[in-house]
Parts: sequence; C-alpha cells; structure tokens
Amino acid sequence: MYIIIAGCGKIGANLVKKLSNDGHDVVVIDPSEENLSQLENGTNCLAITGMPIDEDILKSAGIEHADALCAVSSDDNVNIMTAQIARQLYHVPRVVTRCYDPGKDEVLQQMGLCTVCPTMLTVERIGLLLGETEEN
Amino acid sequence: MRIVIVGGGNVGYYLVKTLMAEKHRIMLIDSNRARCERVENAFGGAYVEVTHGDGTSVDCLRDAGIYHAEAFIAVTGQDQNNLVSCQLAKDFFGVKRTIARVKNPKNIRVFEQLGVDSVISSTARIAGSIDQELDWADVNSLLTQKATHVRVREALVVPGSPYNGKRLGEIGLPKGMIVVCIVRDGEALVPDGETRLAADDNVVILGNEADLPRVISAVRGEEI
Repeated sequence: MYIIIAGCGKIGANLVKKLSNDGHDVVVIDPSEENLSQLENGTNCLAITGMPIDEDILKSAGIEHADALCAVSSDDNVNIMTAQIARQLYHVPRVVTRCYDPGKDEVLQQMGLCTVCPTMLTVERIGLLLGETEEN
Repeated sequence: MRIVIVGGGNVGYYLVKTLMAEKHRIMLIDSNRARCERVENAFGGAYVEVTHGDGTSVDCLRDAGIYHAEAFIAVTGQDQNNLVSCQLAKDFFGVKRTIARVKNPKNIRVFEQLGVDSVISSTARIAGSIDQELDWADVNSLLTQKATHVRVREALVVPGSPYNGKRLGEIGLPKGMIVVCIVRDGEALVPDGETRLAADDNVVILGNEADLPRVISAVRGEEI
C-alpha cells in the first residue's frame, strides 16, 4: 500500500518504521526538521517538511493516489483537519485519526471518522493491569 | 441575536466591540487567560460573557452556552482550530450559521467543502462582511425552510468588476437568478433589464445557492 503518515513524533516515527519494514511505500510529513531527524538512518521512506493541513504539501506527498493516511501528529485538531481533507476531498480509502481528547473522539466517531484515542487506550490498559494485580 | 465567538485576539476583540454595539449577545471563548481578561475588562457585562477554555472542546462549548446560539464565529489564528470549532458547533450542537476565519486562503475551499457556512480569509474582510452575513442569515434560514436551494446575498460592485457599467440584461445571470434591489447613494431601487450597474452599487441578489458564489465573486471583482 501507498501510505501517508502525517506527524512524526514518537508514534509517527515508529509507525513509519513498522510500515516500511512490512514492505509498504511510506511518506511522512512533519513541520519540524528535528522531528523528522528521529527517523532511523536507513528507514525506507520519503520525508516531507511541512504542515499536513496544507493541501499543497499533501499533494506533494501524493495524496491523490494514496491508499491510506494516518493522522498522528500531537495536535488533535491538525489530525482532524488532515483526516477530513484526505477522506472528503481526496477520497483516500483508509484514514485513521489519532485524537487525545476522549470527548472529541466520541463526536468524531459519530461524524464517521475512524479514530484511535491513546488516552482511553492507556486508561483501559492500566485498569486491566490493576485488575490482574488484584486477582494475583 | 446570540453569537458565540471563539478567539479573543485582535480580530475577536474588535468583533465583540462591533457586534455588542448592535445589541447582539456575545459569548466569547479563548484559551488564553490574559486575552479573556482583556475582553472581560473592556466589554464584560449584560451583552458580553467571557469563558476561559478550549473552543474546540465539547465540554467547553457546552459550558459557554452554545445551545442558545444562533451564530458561531471562529477567529483564532489557527485554521485547524477554527475548522474543528465550527464543525462541533454545526454538527454536534446544531448551530445554524457558522463563520470561520482562515489564515491560508487555500483553506477557503477546504472549509466550504467540509461544511462551514461562510469562510473569511483576512482580517480586513471580516470587519466588512460579518454584519451583512449575519443580517442575511435570518432571511436565509427562512428561505431554507420554504425553498431549499434559494438564497439571498449582498455585494458591492467594485470599479474592476466585469459587471461595472453593464445593463442587467446583458450580464447574462444564470437562469432563475435575479437582482432584487440595488442600493445606490443611500436609495433603494428595484431594477429591470435596462438598469445599468455602477461602481459602489450595493446589489441584493436572489438565486440558486450553487450559482450565487460565482456571481457574487464577479460583482466584487474577485478572481474566480
């Protein structure tokens, strides 16, 4: 698949590594050169410096023929806007949005966006681990 | 009219000042405490309430009383925040009219396609068009109930407009579109096909929602 990763923080950089190791064509976008420098040497991907909510940047990343886009920057609203541009303006078949705010996450799901909420994942996971500890 | 404004920077500040003078009830939201205090100290009172919080958060919008708002205006300096605010206002809280400011003019099209009613690309245009947009909002919400696709818009003829100096009959407006009224030198006149448009005319146009933006842009001499 041709996949665009919008945001190159810890999650973005690790996602790039995993997906390119799995044999996908990966393009990563981030406004910060410093973030992009986190990518390990030899990671097989194209890195673009710029704001992912800028249509021109998305076009240069090949959004017109992308199979998937993951909006995983640290800013919920940047992710929401990027995801909607991909989904509604460029009809990218698979779009995943990271959203930290659980309240907003619910609304996004109602709007039809496919989301991942790291806050609730962590809360639920810690809850589970505590449950296990109690049982032990 | 009850209006929620998100963003209390310079644009938000002067927007509050302008709209409160026309007896609108304003609820201003900003995430920066100093900006909130500046607006609160200058205008706080019966017409203006200030809420400190994130205007893109569902809880904050609810606390600010968004359910009673008839118009929602997002004028922070960040396009992505203005988009998300307007979408929450419209899709989640059912506010009829949403207006957003964009910094990047290319986002005008993006915002319109993602459901924002009016998109304004610069500080200068906000001051000029918000009043008109809000006034016509009432007429248009009535029209939406009676005739789905028909809208009314108002625009000023600029000297460089392709319509300047032309008779209405020779402009070639799309089918079903009419110039209802021309305001010239403070007088309203009802035109016919022989009426010639002139610079500084304010024209009120009734027509199909899909065709209006193109005609309005031409009147204003903007690039299409």
